[in-house]
Amino acid sequence: MKEKTWLFPAILLGLSFFFAVLWVKPIGVSTQFSVAAGMAQRVFKPTLVYEDAESKSGYASTNAYLNKSGGKLAKAVAHPLNYGMVFVLAIPLGVFLGSSLDSKRRERKQELAKFKQAAKEDKLARKSDAEIINQLNEPINHSAYGLSFLAGLLLIFGARLAGGCTSGHMMSGIMQSSISGYIFALVVFGLAIPLAFLRARKNYKQ
Amino acid sequence: MLIKAIILGGFFGFALYQVGAHLPSKIEGMLRLEDFSLMKSILFAIGLSSVLLALAQMLGIFNLAHLSVKNMHLGVIVGGLIFALGFALGGTCPGTCMAALGSRQSWQKGLFALLGGLCGAVLFNLSYGAIAKTGIFTALDWGKLTLFKLSEDYPSVLGLGFSGLLITGLLMMGIAFILPDYRLPKALRESQKN
Repeated sequence: MKEKTWLFPAILLGLSFFFAVLWVKPIGVSTQFSVAAGMAQRVFKPTLVYEDAESKSGYASTNAYLNKSGGKLAKAVAHPLNYGMVFVLAIPLGVFLGSSLDSKRRERKQELAKFKQAAKEDKLARKSDAEIINQLNEPINHSAYGLSFLAGLLLIFGARLAGGCTSGHMMSGIMQSSISGYIFALVVFGLAIPLAFLRARKNYKQ
Repeated sequence: MLIKAIILGGFFGFALYQVGAHLPSKIEGMLRLEDFSLMKSILFAIGLSSVLLALAQMLGIFNLAHLSVKNMHLGVIVGGLIFALGFALGGTCPGTCMAALGSRQSWQKGLFALLGGLCGAVLFNLSYGAIAKTGIFTALDWGKLTLFKLSEDYPSVLGLGFSGLLITGLLMMGIAFILPDYRLPKALRESQKN
């Protein structure tokens, strides 16, 4: 039963990258964070981006990064309702659809409700409760939020420095045999795997 | 154009959900080499898309202008290292934190990662000038180098064209199959939940 449960989702994932590049262009996510940041910065500085007939995109920015490549990002900041931004905003919608259609998840939720009800009536703690709760829920304690925030900061800063993230640089990149894609993937997993081990070791010691 | 974005982005999110990439615990399990399923999925997916891309080109239905290769420079390595810190710390990446936002199980972590990401982006926007001055983008400047010769726009290491993608794609799909579908027994995984 366990065998090959990874295969069909993997096919879907591969298809999503293929259809994107066939129909429009390779998938990328981190760029939209830079655009959104520009939009936030613009609230405090309305003159951040402006029309400029001489630039390739027709827009320019007082910020060096947004002004790069003929003001490509500057234009996106001025007109955020574009392909890239809408694509990224549609991702959680797709996830929501997936989870709504997930019959196994619904079953687990129903089982949990049944156990909770039974536990209430028995007032006995059932070992299976903890198992089912763990299956449904992502283990969360509140210090994890701070870690997630820090992780996000490092991820995007690193991604922009590299020119892309795991979607844009790794998956889209390697799909096109991009050398920077291969190198990015090697560097990221080369460091992240040992770091993950170190973190796990730290937890064992507790 | 926007309809395409919704369909393609939604499909991508749907696929991310199916492979479980929206769960930080799944990604952390992959990085700790306790759960190989996500790694198999990713390898297979990259392989499959490479093969399909090669086939599309051979069938003449692929528009070369859709290719978009990123520049190689020292920032790819340094940025990759910083990225890895966040990857290991949060068990998420920019795409999967957007995915997490749409999930019932991990939207809180996704939200905080998103906020952190926006701060990281602002930080980068503001420090870009200073960073560029260090010469990091001009060091190891190999341009938009690809392994195979896919287009006149991109220099390549080898003369082999799209059929190279077919080869690497099949290789990756093969490795994905060979990798053990190994998951650490639940009891042991419990003790690692942090």
